[in-house]
Amino acid sequence: MKKIIFVIIFLLILATSLVKNSTKELEDKIFMVRENIRPLKSELGDTLLEYNYLSSPEKLTQYQAQYFEKNLIKIDITKIKKLIEKNEKIKVDDLIKKMNDER
Amino acid sequence: MNDKKNNIILEEYENEFTYEKSKTKLNIEFNRIAFIFFIFLVVSIIYSIQLLHLGSLKKKIEPKTLITKKNYRADIIDRNGNYLIKSVSSIDIGISPIEIIDKKKLLVNLKLIFPNKDYEEIEKNFDKNKFFKFEKNISLINYEKIMSLGDKAIRPEEKLTRVYPQKNLFSHIIGQIDDDNNGISGIEKSFDNELKVTNEALKLTVDTDIQFLIREELLRFKEIFRAKGSAAILMDVNNGAIISMVSIPDFNLNERKTITDVDYINRATKGVYEFGSVFKTFTIAAAFNENLVESNTEFLNLKKQIECNGFKIREYNDKMPTDLTVEEILIRSGNIGSVRIGQKIGEEKFRSFLKKIGVLGIIDFDIQEVGKPTPISWGKCKLATASYGHGITTTLLQIAKGYSIVTNGGYDINPTMIQKKIINKHLQKRILNVGVSDKINKILRKIVTNEEGTAELANVKGYEVGGKTGTAQISKKGRYTRDKINTFAAVFPSEKPRYTLVVMMDEPKTNSEYIYHYRDDKQPIKGTPYNTAGWTSVEVAGKIIERIGPILATKYIEN
Repeated sequence: MKKIIFVIIFLLILATSLVKNSTKELEDKIFMVRENIRPLKSELGDTLLEYNYLSSPEKLTQYQAQYFEKNLIKIDITKIKKLIEKNEKIKVDDLIKKMNDER
Repeated sequence: MNDKKNNIILEEYENEFTYEKSKTKLNIEFNRIAFIFFIFLVVSIIYSIQLLHLGSLKKKIEPKTLITKKNYRADIIDRNGNYLIKSVSSIDIGISPIEIIDKKKLLVNLKLIFPNKDYEEIEKNFDKNKFFKFEKNISLINYEKIMSLGDKAIRPEEKLTRVYPQKNLFSHIIGQIDDDNNGISGIEKSFDNELKVTNEALKLTVDTDIQFLIREELLRFKEIFRAKGSAAILMDVNNGAIISMVSIPDFNLNERKTITDVDYINRATKGVYEFGSVFKTFTIAAAFNENLVESNTEFLNLKKQIECNGFKIREYNDKMPTDLTVEEILIRSGNIGSVRIGQKIGEEKFRSFLKKIGVLGIIDFDIQEVGKPTPISWGKCKLATASYGHGITTTLLQIAKGYSIVTNGGYDINPTMIQKKIINKHLQKRILNVGVSDKINKILRKIVTNEEGTAELANVKGYEVGGKTGTAQISKKGRYTRDKINTFAAVFPSEKPRYTLVVMMDEPKTNSEYIYHYRDDKQPIKGTPYNTAGWTSVEVAGKIIERIGPILATKYIEN
């Protein structure tokens, strides 16, 4: 009986140390990944800020006037259709349903 | 012969001795160690069970650190993840004159790096022997140059700088911070602590593209109608999420100016105004809610003018028929008819209705810059004037909230600009009876489509706009002036409203050159015939819906 207890205790100690060791390795890896992510996050933030500025509505309106003044045309939204796929069949529907008083 | 006999008696040896392990110190120590290991075993089992239990739990959101980080402030983004504010680190350079080794040499070196500075002033600062800020937000190149001088007197100081890529667009909403990283207005102030500790960006409900388009139209029409200012709010009627909130004039947050001019007040939340006839919708909704009238209930022999305590109440239009149904009263914006309905409701019920839909009292909102509606001493005359929107004040935000509630099926909503605070109407209490919204929505639509209605200019094809106009004279020093507050509260699509758009113009003037284009076959009109909401705010709202409609219809179609 005592031997069994000794063996169990020994195994537990061994298992604990093994688990702790592997956990430590994992923690190290997580730490390294996090440290690597940090500058990437900062870089992403800066790039996104630049993108947000360059694609801001103010800039886009400016570009539209500058480059596409005649190329972009306004479409009546009631004429836009949407495609609905159902049971391998495609149904064409209005994007905005016309109301009774508009027909 | 001595015959001696030695007798040997053999007896069975009986000894009481039995073998026992001696109870030595060694034995005691063994028990102790076994006991310790036993405790260890128990602890290990408990720990293992705990580990297994934790492992079976779903991943929870990491608890937010409550430690305020130095030089840190979370970013603010819009509903599409676009930056509204981004924090960046910047370096300020200070100089401690006591520690300067060679003043002349340092001055020459500084002149080489920063040739455009006023060095006479700097020399004076050197002589004062007090620490001073030499240059704020220096570039990385200049930082390297100045630090390579190796002078101990040069002290770099890392600082937090907020960058606003959208410039003026959200100035009234997000507000500003001071030099010590403390919010002093807007979201920056009311979410100051959260922004200092949270690791994630604060997500707002606003949409940058829509905000831009609304602001552009408001600026354009501010010029056309020479208005003192204007404001607009676009709100989701089903959850109170504010998609856009604009107040003109605004300011560029990147310039970090201290705004003291009262003209820059947030007209959407802080400005308290009499909004006039937009209140009639509430009067009629209250009557529907109390089951006192139906849309076709007739009010006969309506006078052209009534008097209350010496105060004359008259129709704005002499052509107003004397017999009108409830529906016609709202469509034609009848003052006397509204008074009659208000009297039918009674002071207490009307007041309770207005309170219920959030029009009276201070609104609980995400920013602290909210106006306090003027307290009312209710009485017969006050009830009469309040029923057509005079002598009663509130904020534009509260008008938007009220219109959202009366059109969304009667569910309470809380206006918010914070994405995580959104609560859908179905999780809220229903505060109005079933059917009230349906009746109101039908009438609001007729105000835009009928010729007798006051909002024909907002009949944008495809969006089924409904709404009510309000033209109110501004009271200055206790007297009504000729200056006006022109408002249009729109809901669309009116069959099942999704959005409320309220547009307000502060002191607009008529424009004799502006051409009004109707959206049907009617001939265009040159010049503003009357300085009313129907010819100012409705036109602005129509143009806004025309521009933002495609975004709302396509971007939010699945939501």
